[in-house]
Amino acid sequence: MPTVEIDPDELRELTGHPEKDNGTLRSELFALGLEYEGETDDGEFELEFAPDRLDRLSVEGVARSLRYQYGEDRGVYVPTTNDAEWTIEVDADVPDERPYVTGAVVRGLDMDEAALESLIQLQEKLHATMGRQRAKGAIGVHDLTMLKGQVAASGGEDTPEEEADPRTEIASTGGGKSVQYTGIGRREDRFVPLEGQRDQTPQEVLMGHHTAHKFADLVEDYERMPAIYDDIGLFSFPPVINGKRTEVTEDSRDLFIEMTGTDQWTIDHMLNIVCYALDARGGRVEEVEVQYADDAAGDYAGNTLVRPNFDTKTKTVDHSDVESMLGIDLDGEEVVGLIEQAGLGVDGIEGADQEDDFLSYEVEIPPYRVDVLHPVDVIDDVGRAYGFNELEPRYPDVSTVGGRHERSRLERAARTALVGMGFEDLLNFHLISEEANYDRLDVERGSDVLGGGAPAVIQEPYSTDYEIVRTWALPSVMMVLGNNTHRSYPQDLAEIGLAAEQDDSEPTKMAERQSVAAALARNDASYEDAKARLQALCRAFDVELATPPTDHPSFISGRTADVIIDGQQVGVVGEVHPKVLVQYDLEVPVAAFEFDLDALR
Amino acid sequence: MKLPETQVAVLETASADDPTPVEQIAEDTGEPTAAVSGAAFELEDQGLLTTTERTETDLVLTEEGEDYAYDGLPEHLLWVGALSNDADEEPIELGQALGPAGLGDDQVEIALSNFARKGMGTIDSGTIEVNGDFDLESDPERTLLEALRDDDDLRPEDVDEDALAGLERRGLVEQRERTTREVELTDEGVTALMEGVEVAETVGQVTPELLTSGEWDEVEFAEYNVGADAETVNGGKPHALREMSERVKDVLVGMGFEEMQGPHVDADFYINDCLFMPQDHPARNHWDRFALEEPARMDREDLPDDLVEAVENAHRNGVGPDGEGYHSPWDEDFASALALRGHTTSLSVRHLAGIADGDIDPPQRHFSIEKAYRNDTLDATHLLEFFQIEGWVMAEDLSVRDLMGTFTEFYEQFGITDIEFKPHYNPYTEPSFELFGRHPETDELIEIGNSGIFRPEMLEPLGVEADVMAWGLALERLFMLATGAEDIRDVHGTLVDLEFLRNEEVVY
Repeated sequence: MPTVEIDPDELRELTGHPEKDNGTLRSELFALGLEYEGETDDGEFELEFAPDRLDRLSVEGVARSLRYQYGEDRGVYVPTTNDAEWTIEVDADVPDERPYVTGAVVRGLDMDEAALESLIQLQEKLHATMGRQRAKGAIGVHDLTMLKGQVAASGGEDTPEEEADPRTEIASTGGGKSVQYTGIGRREDRFVPLEGQRDQTPQEVLMGHHTAHKFADLVEDYERMPAIYDDIGLFSFPPVINGKRTEVTEDSRDLFIEMTGTDQWTIDHMLNIVCYALDARGGRVEEVEVQYADDAAGDYAGNTLVRPNFDTKTKTVDHSDVESMLGIDLDGEEVVGLIEQAGLGVDGIEGADQEDDFLSYEVEIPPYRVDVLHPVDVIDDVGRAYGFNELEPRYPDVSTVGGRHERSRLERAARTALVGMGFEDLLNFHLISEEANYDRLDVERGSDVLGGGAPAVIQEPYSTDYEIVRTWALPSVMMVLGNNTHRSYPQDLAEIGLAAEQDDSEPTKMAERQSVAAALARNDASYEDAKARLQALCRAFDVELATPPTDHPSFISGRTADVIIDGQQVGVVGEVHPKVLVQYDLEVPVAAFEFDLDALR
Repeated sequence: MKLPETQVAVLETASADDPTPVEQIAEDTGEPTAAVSGAAFELEDQGLLTTTERTETDLVLTEEGEDYAYDGLPEHLLWVGALSNDADEEPIELGQALGPAGLGDDQVEIALSNFARKGMGTIDSGTIEVNGDFDLESDPERTLLEALRDDDDLRPEDVDEDALAGLERRGLVEQRERTTREVELTDEGVTALMEGVEVAETVGQVTPELLTSGEWDEVEFAEYNVGADAETVNGGKPHALREMSERVKDVLVGMGFEEMQGPHVDADFYINDCLFMPQDHPARNHWDRFALEEPARMDREDLPDDLVEAVENAHRNGVGPDGEGYHSPWDEDFASALALRGHTTSLSVRHLAGIADGDIDPPQRHFSIEKAYRNDTLDATHLLEFFQIEGWVMAEDLSVRDLMGTFTEFYEQFGITDIEFKPHYNPYTEPSFELFGRHPETDELIEIGNSGIFRPEMLEPLGVEADVMAWGLALERLFMLATGAEDIRDVHGTLVDLEFLRNEEVVY
């Protein structure tokens, strides 16, 4: 799981608790679900986080959660915002693949090294999670003082209210400064990228920049490169890299934040998380208008959005559902208290004049919570605030009858019979290489012999040792023999396990079966030894065995037979051919059989 | 009469009127004493012989006693040494006496104390003067030592009592008790001998002929060295991890769980979409899942339309009046793509949806211990294939407490107690918990599973109206905890060492 690095000194400062020692903080963080993994060289905590509470990807967010846990903050906090001075204009040249943009201005920051590091880490972690490695959302943060805004073109057209998406707002009058989100040719313009020495075209950046080239895949299929301009020129090449001109330093006081992506909701919420973190640092959040031109791509053409959007949302939670989920009785006030302790708010209570069982709460969800999709998520928060480990376990009063699956009983019985005959039971991988599955046994893929079927083939396997699902089990047994030539003989080995081959008539396109494979390796192993054991197995399961002669490339001709059980051809038995034995450096004869487990039913 | 060879020899050597010690017979017959004793008892059982036991006490020189018997007592050597320097006339330095006496370091103390005790002279502040009249030859201790040296058969009653007590105190002589067994022929024995006794033959093995002919009654069985190592037998054994799986299945069946099985290769729809996993979830990119190149996808018509529609709707819009979906793409092509299942929750989905086994009504408990596949790097605790223990309970009203109670009960069966529930996040459960427990040996707090209550966004499209709680963990993890195995690669797969399988302790 991903980790986030948090400076405990920063945590003490931001929570206002200089007295908490590291041990105390660690156990309080564990209670939040942030597991302590270790420390960095600089003494920062490495915390493992579950990817739901993305608002905790920075020290500011973790501090906020701790203050709720301490009971020092309650309910929903929404930062106040100043009116927009800046506008992001989106024109029709923006690449269709990445049509959305959002942004905010944050002023009056007193950035020190720690604050800057925290902001950079938050960007990285958001890229890795919600941003899906920048594919879905990419963040650019710029020093506002380095931007020069043109006077905005004549504002976006008013959007008729009934057509507007509920998340958009009607344009207010912008403050007059603007940047442009657009698309340009790969070699159409030049800029100096972050950590770059000279101006380059986007194409040159993708080919040559030491960090930018990692993101070349993202824009590989784009006809036009995403680009953001101010009055001076190109200053951001999302999702790849920012320009050097607007680089943020410890001296930066006012920031311009832009995010582009493939989904407006996603980047808007990434923006909320960043704005909340900077607000906690003492910054003043200022709105930015996003004006989509009428002919812009995406769902918001012709609309103007005011961002960040700190609107809260509401989930209706029934009191009875809380009690039922937690398995305890609570009164209404307690639940309200727990909701507020979780950093959520209660907008209203229905049924307040009735018994607690009929209560329901209108719960207000702050705009940085991206994980709350359903009332059950609120109940989970209530449970966490209550302390799940405070709950007394109880064995559910539910009666059911247990039992084994028929095939699992059959498999166990067949395994017991094999072990009773002295076979060592094996457990091998279902994944194997093509070479081991076919070539080493001289079986041709696609041929009409046992094991010759077409396999399930893994897409881009890490290792060719595990590139297909085995079509029969004997190859695995032979590999174990080959790996144990230094061990004493006799080696009688058996395995009952999955084998599968392609079959168009199956819904999953694969015919999967449990296969019984057995091999006898000893100085005097012969066909008869193998057949004797096969016969014993068939007798034990009261099925009829016949073994008419056949040919199979893995076995010696004239010493090979089909395994026919109750009239069905289900496998093969014979003496393994020396050309196969030498593949495994075996110096003793091997007699073997393999057949479908289902034949013993 | 036919008797085994040793018995015949004993019978023939014994006498009817003079009890003969067993040792004597052993010497006369050339048989080992133990064999003679054994034969004597057999013969006594048949009434041919009587045995009597007598306890005798032997006087035995200790190692030190034997040395002195040959070399002389240390005090005597001191006396002689001193005398050689004329210490009978006037006292001399002790050193002058010890030199010629040739005593070892450990003998000086012994010599000095006994010298004084026996009045062989006086020792005073480092000087020694000897009594010239002392007669070494008539020292009774010396006499007894030499007598014991020359005659093994002396008995305590034959010797000087004081001298014996003295030598015993000095640890030069020990009294040892010995049981002598003597045998004497009975009248029946004499009769038998007169009638003739033949030696019965010795046989190596019980044979069918021996049994059917009745000859077994008259033969003697050659003795084996029963303490010797036997040949190594490698009887077959179920694989250790299978045994562990059987044990877990027993526990779950006992708790009322019914087993599920199902396809290893399945559509991503069942593996992920039905679990409310967004299609752009990081776990669904091709690096982590075992996507198949061929066969690449299920036919769309083999996925039930209403289910696909309901699942897509849950992804896009959520469920319930307040529900929200994911802001992620969703397409049927990805849903019908085939992969090796990354978890066996796909089996739970197929059962909950009524595809595997028809519609089901609460209450239900189901489990599976089946392989799941992870496209990951191999190390001591992770393989590409592992057995996932998956279980779920369906009932009208289930709470977090029920979940906790079920798992507490389950893990107790394996000696893991003090379960802690750490709130966690899974896309398909809410609330979700990672389970931590105390290691039965090391007492460490270790992660032992993942659990939760299935989300409405998962259950509603599957048509489930009751609550369902579920959990999963790797069988290998439980195996390693229970057996102390440290590298799972030694256990599972073709690299296994047969010696390991042959010698691994059984799990039960």
